[in-house]
Amino acid sequence: MPILDVQNLRVRFETHHGVVRAVDGVSFSLEEGETLGLVGESGSGKSVTNLALMGLIPSPPGVVEADALRFEDRDLLALSDEELRGVRGNEISMIFQDPMTSLNPLLTVGRQLTEVLEVHERLSRREARKRAAAGLADVGIPEPERRLDQYPHELSGGMRQRVMIAMGLLCRPKILLADEPTTALDVTIQAQILELMQKLQREYGTAIILVTHDLGVVAGMSDRVNVMYAGRLAETAGAVELFDDPRHPYTRGLLGSVPRLSGDTDADLDSIKGSPPDLADLPAGCAFRPRCSFETERCAAEPPPLFDLGGGRSSACLERDALGQPEGGAR
Amino acid sequence: MSDAHQDSRWSIDEAELARLTKEARQFKGESLWSDAWRRLRRNRAAFLALLFLAAFGGVSLLAPFLPIPSPKAISLRDEPGTPEWLWSVPAAPTKAPDRGAATTRSTRNLWNDGWRHRSTVILAADDEGAAEKARARVEETSGRGAILETYPADEGDGLEVYASVPMLEGDAPEVDYRATDFGGTATCWDVSTAGADEPVGAVHSLRLQSADGTDFDAAQVSGWSVEARGRSVRLFLGRAEARPGLGDWVVAYRLAAELGSLPTAVLLDGTLLPGSAEVAWEGTPRGAQTVDAELLEGVEAMDLGRQVAASLAASPIEGVTYLETRHEDGYWEFKGLVGAMDRALRRARIATFGLWQTGNWMGTDGQGRDLLARIVWGSRTSIIVGIIASLCSLLIGVLYGAFSGYMGGRIDNLMMRIVDVLYSIPFIFVVIFLITVVNEYRTELEDQFGIDREKIFFLVIGAIYWLTMARVVRGQVLSLKNTEFIEAARVIGASTTRILLSHVVPNVLSIVIVYLTLTIPAVMLFEAFLSFLGLGIEPPKVSWGLLAVDGTQAINPIKIYWWLVVFPAGAMGSTLLALNILGDGLRDALDPKLRGKN
Amino acid sequence: MLRFLARRFLWFVITVSTVMTVSFFLMHSVKGGPFDGERKLDPVIEANIKARYHLDWPLWRQYLQYVGPFNLDDQRALAAFDEEGGFALWRSEGADGEPTRAFGGVLTGDFGPSFRYKDFTVNDILEESLPISALLGVLSMMFAIALGVSAGIASALRPGSGIDLTLRIAATGGIALPNFVIASFLVILLVFLIPLLPVAGWGTIQHMLLPGLCLGLVFAAYIARLTRTGMLETLSADYIRTAHAKGLAPRTVVMRHALKGGLLPVVSYLGPATAGILTGSLVIEKIFFIPGTGSHFINAATNRDYTLAMGVTILFTVLVYTLNTVVDMAYTLLDPRITLEDE
Ligand SMILES: Nc1ncnc2c1ncn2[C@@H]1O[C@H](COP(=O)(O)OP(=O)(O)O)[C@@H](O)[C@H]1O
Ligand code: SF4
Ligand SMILES: [Mg+2]
Repeated sequence: MPILDVQNLRVRFETHHGVVRAVDGVSFSLEEGETLGLVGESGSGKSVTNLALMGLIPSPPGVVEADALRFEDRDLLALSDEELRGVRGNEISMIFQDPMTSLNPLLTVGRQLTEVLEVHERLSRREARKRAAAGLADVGIPEPERRLDQYPHELSGGMRQRVMIAMGLLCRPKILLADEPTTALDVTIQAQILELMQKLQREYGTAIILVTHDLGVVAGMSDRVNVMYAGRLAETAGAVELFDDPRHPYTRGLLGSVPRLSGDTDADLDSIKGSPPDLADLPAGCAFRPRCSFETERCAAEPPPLFDLGGGRSSACLERDALGQPEGGAR
Repeated sequence: MSDAHQDSRWSIDEAELARLTKEARQFKGESLWSDAWRRLRRNRAAFLALLFLAAFGGVSLLAPFLPIPSPKAISLRDEPGTPEWLWSVPAAPTKAPDRGAATTRSTRNLWNDGWRHRSTVILAADDEGAAEKARARVEETSGRGAILETYPADEGDGLEVYASVPMLEGDAPEVDYRATDFGGTATCWDVSTAGADEPVGAVHSLRLQSADGTDFDAAQVSGWSVEARGRSVRLFLGRAEARPGLGDWVVAYRLAAELGSLPTAVLLDGTLLPGSAEVAWEGTPRGAQTVDAELLEGVEAMDLGRQVAASLAASPIEGVTYLETRHEDGYWEFKGLVGAMDRALRRARIATFGLWQTGNWMGTDGQGRDLLARIVWGSRTSIIVGIIASLCSLLIGVLYGAFSGYMGGRIDNLMMRIVDVLYSIPFIFVVIFLITVVNEYRTELEDQFGIDREKIFFLVIGAIYWLTMARVVRGQVLSLKNTEFIEAARVIGASTTRILLSHVVPNVLSIVIVYLTLTIPAVMLFEAFLSFLGLGIEPPKVSWGLLAVDGTQAINPIKIYWWLVVFPAGAMGSTLLALNILGDGLRDALDPKLRGKN
Repeated sequence: MLRFLARRFLWFVITVSTVMTVSFFLMHSVKGGPFDGERKLDPVIEANIKARYHLDWPLWRQYLQYVGPFNLDDQRALAAFDEEGGFALWRSEGADGEPTRAFGGVLTGDFGPSFRYKDFTVNDILEESLPISALLGVLSMMFAIALGVSAGIASALRPGSGIDLTLRIAATGGIALPNFVIASFLVILLVFLIPLLPVAGWGTIQHMLLPGLCLGLVFAAYIARLTRTGMLETLSADYIRTAHAKGLAPRTVVMRHALKGGLLPVVSYLGPATAGILTGSLVIEKIFFIPGTGSHFINAATNRDYTLAMGVTILFTVLVYTLNTVVDMAYTLLDPRITLEDE
């Protein structure tokens, strides 16, 4: 049984400029210890999906609906506020994108770590402090005792992200939602952080949903990948299959837009033309239609559902078969 | 330039650059203001505030035109009058406690709530018929409609007729002093008793001769009075024989040094004039000073009273005799342009509304003055103070800030440090101190520089509200100094003045306007604050602070004269609120970060 | 820290000596002096009075005496044995033969004799009136903070709601209306219409409540505004989302994570607020007939009691400056990102 089962998740924001359907019918499930990649351009609804799982969508203007939002044997949507708080930061925790702004600048690192333990494990301050120091040591921070008394601005960006990860893992959560954990960091630190996450995942058996728009990261980290476009799943597949044989024009575009270190820089990147759609005013039919080079008349009729392609993969494209493997995995 | 930089980006020729800068400027200039106006209009609260302020300001400025009672004339009452929705007040007195014998001619008008800016011709008449004829004569002579009140005469059994017309300039007796061919000297000295330092009096000895050498005859003079301001002295010499159209003589001179005492004795060609103290003045006085003096002759104009009297003399009415004319001043006379505008507005009021005026819609204060009128006139004072004082602060702040920002470096640093120091002083205390000290020099300032108390007040307020303005302007100038389009202008060789006028000023202007709208309410509050403490505008003038004093004094446990609190507070609060809202709205509208957005 | 304090102290000295010097010379430049303009005094008495207040000295000497810390008067008394000294000894007695009190100058904390209250020094008057004004000020500051912060938080927690709108309108009114107008309304309301509080007077704490409230309301309005914007800003910060994601209760999130950041603007406003309360106390003390320092100051200013007026001005300058420094230091305690050295 999957540890997390999401069926037809819908999140909309009712703003002054109209209703924004940030997530529109997303379904997936997550197995224990698995890493699920979530990729897509910014604005495609990745963060909103994660926040919806945590019950952190601000309301108003947000409205969250789903056919099922099952965590182990509990229905997340049916939990009371208090029960939900018991899950947050404890069984499901989240790491945010920007370690610079996601830590409270006015509280010491120690205070921000210990309060998690105080809430969920009812530890005394002293015990909590010990555990927090251990947590910092786990993520490879030297002199953890001293760091506890420092303020976030006294730490480097990489250190702060480590603190965030330590904070997320303090209570040994079953699921870790990592929302672009490395975007704000430079490349070497990025690699360290990712390695660290993998190591901790092996140790604790935590399932991870890794949000990123960096396909390289996804390829290295995840078992399976969900590709999101305009609030819907465009394609879902095992990481290897997806990269070898993308079955959605959008995925292909994404793969094409990854700059390769080797190769001719002057050659045209096969990037996606046009810009992401306005979620408040989506085109009829397939949302990707205006930017799609495989588009046919059928595509304008209605948004294509997710077609099962067998082998645990599916694609939301009417022309998925036409994509085939024209260049035979030339990568 | 192109020699130094082979790079193609730098090889724009200068004409092209000039064209680009001009275009950029035009685009920037136009879109800034039209964009701001568009956004201000969309901000409904700010736009309403703007409309309210325009209306309220207009009403206050047009105060003399409005058919409201006088803000100044008092009448004897026991307590403040309640607001009454009387569409109009009969112009004649309504509230005299007893219209009959209890009042005499000298006290009668003290209960008057009617038109108070008026000239009243008082005549004796035998009966009602004669009274009507007298009114007709007054109307005919003055060319204005008159109201009639009749009372039993103080003595005898006739009637006393009061025919009142709205007062115009020229109604009150005015004396014009004309030069005569007499002139001469005044010798003045202090007189003190032996042993004491302080003088007990002063002697002014005049010698006046005409151009042809005849002495001025002391027998023509019946008495004297004096008016002295600092060192200038005007001695009034009364005529022994009244002559129609001619009033007092005036001897005017300016002392070389101030004397310790006002004159107690006046000598004309060695003769002590009537009304002088007996002093021993023989011998050469020690410390006497002799200065040139001139003699002026007072010529009285044909005022309303004289005209009526003359008309009655020319064609008498049976049973009517002229007694006297009184003038009740219901407004403040302003000098200069404001005064001229006020007089024009007043004439327009009489032409439009005649003798009609509203009732006491907002009640009266303890002295019977109409509250509505006082609020309108008080707002006028406060608004004028607010605007002028803010402009003072603007001038100082902009000059200081712009200079500091423009110079930069050490000078800038020092100048801003000074601002910091001034910021950390609790200013009110220093200002109050300053105002009281300056008050000691009132007469000197007024005599020598023509600066009256209100002007001092403007200056002092202006002098403390410039700090924020200076900081803001300096910041703006500093950031502009290094922007690209200024660089561009400098590159094409525009002069400093040109750069300042066409680039810096428009950009600083928007922020200055915003702070101006926020300074005005602050200054108005400060005026109210000082007036409340008795250090600002002085009675009988009226301003918001003084109205508030009346309000707080009217609060007592026995009876709450709520209108004295509620109406002035309402006017004050809504104006200040509107100014604040408008200021915030303007700030949003002119904020470059929000430009182009809704 | 030490460097910060040293620099602050330097500017403090500059500020206070500017205020002192300017007001001293302003006061002494007034023609005639403080005892003119009333009925003429006997020249002997006048000379005595002038001597008592050192008005017969040259200006520089009067200034040195005023600033202190050396009592030039005493020196003259000590030199009583030489010829001029005998004269001086006579002079250091008041008109009634009582010896004048020693006056050590502002630097020793002595503001000299009052020009109006003949038997009092400025210090006597301040000693008597300052506790009253301090009580009023502290009370109004408490009102301002309590009302302002709670209103600001209530507004920020439900932006756009009815409560928010009402509170914001009230705050705008509080800022726009002068405090004497607010005072009038409150007196009518709380004393006469709903008689909760005693009529103006002096003595019990009840008598203080209304003046304190009237004085505090304007600042409560400002604080409410600052709190609202500050809280809205912090509540939308990323770290608040983090706090929620940790599973903290909403109360804890607001109290522990949002409040501190949201109140920072309020803390930096406390300096200006103090100055404002001192200013406002002038009016409030007049309305409620409170014999505080403010009332004395106004009387002194209008009655040419220059030593008293100067004393109050200098004292309040020192007070405001000190409080500003304390506030700045408190700010660095609350916000670890700011260090005092930065200044
Ligand atoms: N609080 C909100 N109010 C209105 N719209 C929101 C809100 N939060 C997110 N959205 C919208 O939801 C869409 C998806 O955002 P997000 O999930 O953050 O994208 P990403 O995939 O980059 O993480 C965006 O278009 C954004 O405009
Ligand atoms: S459904 Fe049509 S438009 Fe959409 S991705 Fe597939 S081919 Fe393109
Ligand atoms: Mg995101």
